[in-house]
Amino acid sequence: MKIQRALALWVSVGLIGLVGISVAGAQEAPAANAQQAPTASAQEAPTASAQEATAADRTLAGDAVCTRCHDETETKPILAMYKTRHGVKADERTPGCQSCHGPSVAHQKNIGGSASQRTRPDVTFGLHGKSDAKIQAGVCLGCHEGGKRALWESSQHESRDMPCAACHTVHAANDPVLTKVTQPEVCFSCHKTQRSQTHLFSTHPLAAGKMGCSDCHNPHGSTGPHLLVRDSVNETCFTCHAEKRGPFLWEHEPVSDECTNCHTPHGSTNPTLLKTRVPFLCQECHSGDHAAQVNSGSNLQNGALTTVNGINPLANASARIQLGGRACLNCHVLIHGSNHPAGAKFQR
Amino acid sequence: MAMKRQMFHLLDGARTVFCAALVGASLAAAASAEEAGTNQAVRDLTQPNSSVEVGIGDVTDGSYKFGEYNGLQNSGQFGVGSFDLRGGGSYDSSDATRWRINATNLGLDTRNATAEYGEQGRYRVTLGFDEIRHNITDSYSTPYRGVGTDVLGLPSSWLVPIVPLLSATAPNARGLSDAVATSSALVRGVLTPPSGAKLAASNTLMAADLPLFGQANLHTTRSRYDGGASYLITPKWEFAIKAGHEDKEGAKPMGSITATTGGDISTILADPIDQSTDQISATLGYHAKSEFVQFVYNGSIFHNNIPSLTWTNWAQPATTMTMSSAPNNESHQLAVTAGKDLTRTTRLVLNAAYTRNTRDGSFLTDASTPLVPNLDGLVVTKAFNLKLTNRPRRDLDLSLGYKFDERDNQTPVRTFAFYDANTVPSATPINSAFSAALGVPATLLANNVNVNDNRPYSRRVNQVNADADLKLTPTETIKAGYEFQQLDRWCNGTWIDCMDAATTQENTAKFELRSSPRENLNTSIGYAYARRTVKAWNENAFLALVPLANVSPTGATGGASAYSFMLENGLSGYGPVEGYAATTGNMNLFFPLNNALANATYQNQNRISEILGLLRYNMAPRERNRIRGNLDWQATQTVAIQGSVDYRDDNYNDSLYGLLKDHDWSANLDATYTPTENLGVTLFYTHEDQRSKSAGDSYTANSAAKSVNGSTAISGGCFSTIALRNANNKIDPCLNWGTDMQNQTNVFGVSLDRKNLLASKLDLGAQIIVSRATDENNVNGGNYVNNPLAVAGAPAGTIAAYFVPATALPTVFNNSIELRFNARYAINKASSLRLTYIYGDMSSSDYAYQGFQLGGLAGGLPTGQTSPSYVVHVIILSYATRF
Repeated sequence: MKIQRALALWVSVGLIGLVGISVAGAQEAPAANAQQAPTASAQEAPTASAQEATAADRTLAGDAVCTRCHDETETKPILAMYKTRHGVKADERTPGCQSCHGPSVAHQKNIGGSASQRTRPDVTFGLHGKSDAKIQAGVCLGCHEGGKRALWESSQHESRDMPCAACHTVHAANDPVLTKVTQPEVCFSCHKTQRSQTHLFSTHPLAAGKMGCSDCHNPHGSTGPHLLVRDSVNETCFTCHAEKRGPFLWEHEPVSDECTNCHTPHGSTNPTLLKTRVPFLCQECHSGDHAAQVNSGSNLQNGALTTVNGINPLANASARIQLGGRACLNCHVLIHGSNHPAGAKFQR
Repeated sequence: MAMKRQMFHLLDGARTVFCAALVGASLAAAASAEEAGTNQAVRDLTQPNSSVEVGIGDVTDGSYKFGEYNGLQNSGQFGVGSFDLRGGGSYDSSDATRWRINATNLGLDTRNATAEYGEQGRYRVTLGFDEIRHNITDSYSTPYRGVGTDVLGLPSSWLVPIVPLLSATAPNARGLSDAVATSSALVRGVLTPPSGAKLAASNTLMAADLPLFGQANLHTTRSRYDGGASYLITPKWEFAIKAGHEDKEGAKPMGSITATTGGDISTILADPIDQSTDQISATLGYHAKSEFVQFVYNGSIFHNNIPSLTWTNWAQPATTMTMSSAPNNESHQLAVTAGKDLTRTTRLVLNAAYTRNTRDGSFLTDASTPLVPNLDGLVVTKAFNLKLTNRPRRDLDLSLGYKFDERDNQTPVRTFAFYDANTVPSATPINSAFSAALGVPATLLANNVNVNDNRPYSRRVNQVNADADLKLTPTETIKAGYEFQQLDRWCNGTWIDCMDAATTQENTAKFELRSSPRENLNTSIGYAYARRTVKAWNENAFLALVPLANVSPTGATGGASAYSFMLENGLSGYGPVEGYAATTGNMNLFFPLNNALANATYQNQNRISEILGLLRYNMAPRERNRIRGNLDWQATQTVAIQGSVDYRDDNYNDSLYGLLKDHDWSANLDATYTPTENLGVTLFYTHEDQRSKSAGDSYTANSAAKSVNGSTAISGGCFSTIALRNANNKIDPCLNWGTDMQNQTNVFGVSLDRKNLLASKLDLGAQIIVSRATDENNVNGGNYVNNPLAVAGAPAGTIAAYFVPATALPTVFNNSIELRFNARYAINKASSLRLTYIYGDMSSSDYAYQGFQLGGLAGGLPTGQTSPSYVVHVIILSYATRF
């Protein structure tokens, strides 16, 4: 039954897609902008180099202006760009060197001497001593606006003058940030605390290369908090943890409120990515019945309460169950919610 | 003769021609070789390459923790297999077709494979497969049979563990411990060793049960299959679809409880996992120079193939219990995002989404659930976002945003009646007024039943934020921002407001200064202050769970219900903040002896009212301060230094109990040295410190009891006699307790890369990461415990009870070292040998694992689980070729 429903869903979506294609195909004629080089974003007044770039020669002959010097002897990746999508000349949208770096006439005329003596290209990419971040972004967004970058303007990274090239290495054959195994290291170049958290006792599988930061975050801007891929924390978590979505008959309020009320997703010294260990986490909200009782070393095996000041030998006493094993979760098992009629206390 | 001479000349000529041709060919070859060499170098740099890697690896010691996600959990050899095949048109051809088949870790349970084919600028098709194995524990043992299935049973030879010296019948899991079985115990106040008969009984029990425990390594595996396609309909219209199917199988440890024997019996079971999730995402997007729109559909169908788990009660093997699993659910979302440049300097982006989330409504029913109505679950989520950005001047950026996000849980509210964890119904019927209100026969429900309403939680976020970035100088930027958030929480259909705080509001102000005083130096410092307030705290929210709090019970006068009596007398569920007093009438019914609201008056087996002053931290009033600082300095051509500090401080100033304070800070330092392109060294260090304080009260109930078996004195604490202590239980200051938890981590790392050794044939790399984490839990306060020597007939002056101060918990620590060494030797331009060595070392200690050991918990069956530790070496030798 479930397979049939899933199949019906896939077929429905496919039909919707076909309708969409039909509708869209009846719309615009192919625009001429495929032939145009990227322009700066609408937020930026067109610069002289951007205007000249509209006439940049994106052919190989045009690139030769640059590659006659930036050739196979270059130690930094330059020519390797031709292995990537940015180098597929058969695609009319593919830029040439000057499409992004500008005509750089002054750079062409003054190439002698040391690096500090040479005139730089019109647009240089990167963090230190390069073109203004907005100019850099304007170049990239000339082609890559929309999609995941729809909310780039005034996003957390954009408002901190992070250029695209701070994370992307477009000249390399393989851009590290686009592969799960190598992506976290790129993010960790700034997010150091999260780097150390991935080496704690309880983590998501980032270090193992099975998850990337972009599985949860959209660094280009999003509607969710903390650049999460979905509108809310919970919706983001449910993309992998759908079994927690519910709705459950008996809901646990902090769970339906926000997963990060109890969990810290980057890493924790506590099991299952909990911010605080149980039972103390539970006691931050619960004081009814047995939840009110103090839990301390005195309640452990051979603690003062199990020996009653050394009078009560081992055989007579048991450590408090709330401190042993899974603590409160020894009994209140289905803590994310229960669908059993007798599950109001998350025991069934 | 002449013929001979002619033949000779012929041969001579041929030899000459041959030599000339040889020389010519050699010259031509030399010239083309030089050109070919250059061309080859360019081809290597510009054409897509393929690669294949095969090899073998070995793991010295098996460890689930070492191999938690990396597939290296077992000792022994494993195959190494990866390939990355690429092809299609050359970059300089007219063919935009590209394809790629990639696979990694083929020899491990973490394998991954992807394939894509497409014509760039027109379409692309992708397929993928990915496996994630999560190794949870390899130290779990259990006597239950059927691990991995949904029915867990005990062998017929299983004997109920007891401690014969204490009781011949009461289940006691500590009886499985030889140390416990052979120890003396206090029996009626006298330290008594076990008799021969009792020892024999213990030995029989242990001989029967201990061999039944078998190890079961618990893990889950996710296998995901996905496919996608994108098609550029026109340069402005694109359609993309991606679909995935994931199977998750395995088992994980899960607690369980039963109360059939009158007390709470727990055991850790192997919870079987067999689930599937189907997800689809489809996008139709239009993008032009100054506007765009995207229509998105996201669908998710979750199916649980194991709706329940049944297990035998180890304390009463003739009985079985059933627990539910996560219900099937579906979520379907339609969303649209659109943006337009209103002017050259102003952009507006809007986003709206509508989601329907439903649950399959089949319920489990058994003897513990005498009252089960039918209902299905439905949650409707609506989201709307608006962002307006404007750049009135080149040095000024402004943005204004609005966010609306509503989770509206429309699951109907119904009343359920159940017995806790299969508790046996008592012989006494429920209060007759309650059964009448429920419309059930007077004898259907016993007085130990719970009557609860479900609470479908909903929430709504309204948030406005405004930000401004001003470039003070070309190298200095100041940023200021303000955010207002209102969070409304409610339940549809409950008889009373279910939320402690129906509305919270938070105002946040933030400032940041970014400066680049030199070309290669970037710094920033920022501060944010946030204050969350609550319009009104609802102390009676807990009553939403118990509808009978609004029904006058038999025995009440004037038709008073628990709720009406509270309102009439201005009391919360905690009741009067007073010690013992004789109470009469309704006061004696609802708040006897000035105690908390009697749970019998709302028909629940547990007291669910909270202590006055406990405010749940996710809603409680809060003040937050946050400071961040960053430094990024390319000090020289070869040296780069980065540093950062992050500090957050939360204070819950209105909270008397619960979480009171929570702060954390971290400091990071990185240094990179790259003197040449062939040598790089990186050092990093992170210190993180988290601290939180919470408070509680161990009160139970005021009473008039004046002695414990005739003994009256108390040693320690705030009261000298049992009578005084019991009369002031609710207000005993010695029962207040507090925790001070501190979590510190230090992570230190070094990495070294050395390339082009041995005439550019050898590259080396090494990385070591050392992590030290400690968790300190200090507790103040204490509790009273009855003196086991205070039995009937004890000598006069025997202490009746001791006050035992709380003590700190043992430090929890987790230390690890990860060392990775790589070597790559180039046999030739295309082929290389690779050697990888991994060293993993972890030691950890966690007092909670004491509860898993033999003799740990009376009510909890041991599993033998231990805090993970390992020392593992991995060596991998592989051959890789590129073509």
